[in-house]
Formats: sequence, structure tokens, C-alpha cells
Amino acid sequence: MYIVLFIIVVAIWAFVDGVVLDYYFAERFWYSPITAPPGSRGLLPPVGITNEYGTGTWAHPLGTDHRGRDILVRLVYGSRIAIQIGIVATGVGATLGTIIGAVSGYYGGWIDDVLQRTVETFYAIPFIVLMIAIMSAFGRGLWIAIVGVSVITTPIFARLIRSEVLSVREEEYIEAAKAAGVRDRNIIRRHVIPNSLAPVLVQATLQIGVNILIVAALSFLGFGAQPPTPSWGAMLAQSRTYMLPDPWFSVWPGLAILVTVVGFNLVGDGLRDAFDPRLND
Amino acid sequence: MSLPRYVARRLGQSVFTLLGVVTITFLLVNAAPGDPVRIFIGPSADASAIAAMRAQFGLDQPIHIRYIKYLMNVVQGDLGQSINYRVPVTQKILERLPATLLLVASSFTFAIITAVPIGVLSAQRRNQLSDHVFRIFGLIGVSTPSFWIGLLLIIILTYHLGLLPATGLVMPWAPPSAVDHATTRLDVLYQSGIHLIMPTLTLGTLQMAAIMRIERSSMLEVLNQEYVSLARAFGVSERTILRKHAFRNAQLPVLTVIGLNLTTALGGSVLTETVFSINGIGTLIITGVNARDYPLVLGTTLFYASLFVIGVLITDILYAYLDPRISYGDES
Repeated sequence: MYIVLFIIVVAIWAFVDGVVLDYYFAERFWYSPITAPPGSRGLLPPVGITNEYGTGTWAHPLGTDHRGRDILVRLVYGSRIAIQIGIVATGVGATLGTIIGAVSGYYGGWIDDVLQRTVETFYAIPFIVLMIAIMSAFGRGLWIAIVGVSVITTPIFARLIRSEVLSVREEEYIEAAKAAGVRDRNIIRRHVIPNSLAPVLVQATLQIGVNILIVAALSFLGFGAQPPTPSWGAMLAQSRTYMLPDPWFSVWPGLAILVTVVGFNLVGDGLRDAFDPRLND
Repeated sequence: MSLPRYVARRLGQSVFTLLGVVTITFLLVNAAPGDPVRIFIGPSADASAIAAMRAQFGLDQPIHIRYIKYLMNVVQGDLGQSINYRVPVTQKILERLPATLLLVASSFTFAIITAVPIGVLSAQRRNQLSDHVFRIFGLIGVSTPSFWIGLLLIIILTYHLGLLPATGLVMPWAPPSAVDHATTRLDVLYQSGIHLIMPTLTLGTLQMAAIMRIERSSMLEVLNQEYVSLARAFGVSERTILRKHAFRNAQLPVLTVIGLNLTTALGGSVLTETVFSINGIGTLIITGVNARDYPLVLGTTLFYASLFVIGVLITDILYAYLDPRISYGDES
């Protein structure tokens, strides 16, 4: 069932990203990713419409926002930002977390204690609050958001891989490697990490979705990408002023977030089913 | 390790965690650019006034001395003086606490009451139509930004149907004279109820979906155990198996997820409070950050972290109490 849903979601996404980018943008060439003047990505109102919000027409299927900018164009550009942050931050966090967790689980002892307490510390502060603290310290904006989300993602993977490593560590092949005189660094790199990686892959896919939600929430609160960069969370924040005259403005960006996150969650659930056949349907 | 010793050990660990939280937030807040005093007094203030205020808040001292002083004060329950509000941070937090607690408690109640039966039902009717519907609902629930649910609810229930108020919370224990449209206690409760519905749904949907998913998979896992097959082989009815054998054993992972979700809920309260303009701790943090009121940011973050640490501590102890097999954290 998940596979079918996933294909539907991917098909919709491919349609939006492919067809829309090719045809829709071609018509409004200064919006197109290729022909747009540098720095103008989806930021300018189209000629003829200024400072108006409006509902769907053939020219602007999802309507225009309070500045007359095409909502669909901004959504598509917003998808790039959301997915970039989601994937980059999760990738960095997963890599760092895997290394930390593997070292922690393999050696145990005081290294483990120190790392575990640090991880728990990061866990204890609600993500949003920690991100707000990070961004108030180092400034608002996209790159800070990526770094911040990587930082808060790291402990999740550290904890996950540590518990995996604790069981892998006891395996006989590790003992064999030790007996053969393989150095610790190589045991961790060649044997421990590859054998603990399956749950990391599942978690990473799910985490991309979570991170997209976190970044959207931050942008909604005004801490993410700064205007006029089109980001989904910021669009939702802007739409709050116009909920009465133009309710659809609030609907589309949220729907975009929902569809994207559902997509990553479906892949994650599918991977988990594949790795853990006991619960397979 | 005995249960009391386990509790003592976990308490000790919690103290370390909180110490870490203080350290991290203290460093972060102090790395922030912008001089809180300058922002507060304004650009036109003369140097002596600024110096006087710096001295008043202890900002003229080096960072390690401020850190140690702060720690000493925190241990004594003093979170410092808010620069923006000019009152003690603890006072401000206690003032805002009821709204946030009411919100989190009501959304957790909503989430648990709805998610547990649905999860069990979903596991019982595995791969039937209702299971698929619940699963899709759960998937959408964990994939939806909570604040967006809030916006949609406001658009539909407030703007189009005019049913529910879109801003603020009313405390059920507030005196009737302090509440609009209320003359009796019953009116206050009614007002409190209708103000609480949308924020509860906004904050509770994610928790509900998360609990529902873990409830379902945990039930399925237990139903796969050999003792369940044995009970089936003995001809025990499916209903009795579910109620007597499976349900209780499936609740342990659910308990853990509920405990860990406390941090998501506390974080989510920041968003929910923003959407519904509720004067809770979440909006207090935002105000603190925007005003560079660093004692306030430090205090509220620490407070949130302590709430979470206490919550996890309670779940861990409950877990150890409920599952005698647990080794109380004796590792290796």
C-alpha cells in the first residue's frame, strides 16, 4: 500500500516540478530557473499585477500573494530550499551522529558517559527552542538554519547508532578482527558502522521530513530564510494577515509541506518494512 | 540494582543534564550579538547610564564569573532579573506557566484518549479498510506542520463558521468578573472550553498521530509473540487475548514515546501560542529573543528543559516499575 501511495506522491511531485518548471516558467521567462535575472527568483510581481492578492486564474493557478507575486512560482522555489535544508542538514547530522555514536558505543567507559550526557542535554531542550537560541546567537538566515538543524539532528543519530553498536560490538567477527590485530579505528570503520547502518538509513529518511517541518516552523516564527526568499514557512506567516480575504493563500504552502513530508515518511516507512520483515504486510 | 538506587542514579544523571543545558544556553546567549542594555535604553543614552545599568545586571564582569554566579543563583531558584520586563524571571515564568501547562495537558489528554483505542483497533483490524484509513490519517498527522492546522482551523471555524474564538485562552479557574461574556462560574468554564478547542487540536494532532502509530506497531509486535499464539491455540477468544494478554504488554513502548514526545509538545507550544496569541511561556521565549533579554531566554529554556527532564524521569521510573525485567540501566 505504501508503495502505491509513494508512487502517487512522486508522480504528483514530478508533475509539479517538471511540467511546471518547463512550461509554466517558460511562459514567464524571468521566473524560470534558467532565464531569470540573478537574484530575482520568484521575487518580482508579474507585469500588470502589483500589490494585489487574488484567487486562481489560468495565468496564476494558485493566485497571487499580497504583493502580486505568483504563489505557485514561490512554492516551487520554496520546495528547493525546503528539500535542500532537509537533505543537507540530515546528511551532516547523520554522519556526525554516526561517528560519535559508534565511538561512544564501541569504547564505552568515560567517553561513553560524557557523550551520552551531552546527547541527553541536547535532547532535553525542545528543538524549536534550541534552534531559536542558536539563531538568536548567530543570526537569522538559511545557512545558520542548516547548521543549527544539523546540530540538533546529530544527537538523534548518535543515540540510535550507539544502541546498535552495543549489540554489534559483542559479535564474534569483531572479536576475530581484534584477535587478528586490526586497529580500533579500522574495526569501527569497516565492521561496526556498516553493520549498524540499516536503522540509520530509515531514521535519516524520516528525519528529512522532520527537519523540513522544523525549518518551516522556524521560518514561520521569522527565524528562517529572510524575506524576500520564498520559503514555505515564511509564506504561511505572511498569509496570516490575509486569512479573511484570501484563505487559499494560507492553504497552499501548508499543503506543499504536507505532501513533501508525507513523501519522505513513506520512503522511510517502506525502508523500515524492508529491513524489518516481521511487521511486513 | 534496586529500584531506589536506580531512581537515585537517574536523578543524578538529570542534574548533569540540566547543568549541560545551563552551560549550552549560557554560552549561546552570550555569543549573541547586540548589547541588551543598549537595546533597552535606546541609542541616545549617555555612557554613564549604560555603565550604571551594566553594573546593575552584572554585565560588567567577565563571562566565567557571570557563569558561576548564574549557576549559584539557579541552584537557589533565582533565574535573574528580566531586562525587558524589569521583574524576576521566575515571576514572569510562573505568571505565564498556567496557560502553557493547560495547553500541553489538554492536548496530551486529547492525544492519549483518542490515539490508544484507535491504535489498538487498527492493529486488530490489520489490513482492513479501517486500518488503512487510520494509517493514512496517522501518516498525515505526523507530516503536517502543527501551526498550519491552527491556521486552517481559524479560517474554517472562526472566519467562515464563526463558531470559536481565534485568540487567547481563558483559565477555567479565573474569576467570572475577569472574563468577557461571563457572569457565572459555568460561563467561565464554557469560555475556557471554547477557547481551548482549537489550540488543543493544533498541538494534539501530532502527538495523537505519533502515539497512534507506535500503539499500532507495538500491538502488532505483541500479537506476534509466541504466548499469544499459545493462547489462540488454547481457543482463547480474540477479544480476551487483546484485552488480557496483549494490551498491557504493548503499552511499554507507548509510554516511552509519550515521555519523549513531551519535548515535541513543549516546542510545539511555542508555535501554537504564536498562532493563537496565547500569553504562555512559548511566546515569552520569542519576546525574550527579540528583545535580547538574555536572562529571560536562559530562564525559560532552562525551565522547559527541566519540565522535559522531569517528564522523562517519571516515564523511566514508571517503566522500570512496570517492567520487572528491566535491568535498571545496568549496562554491559
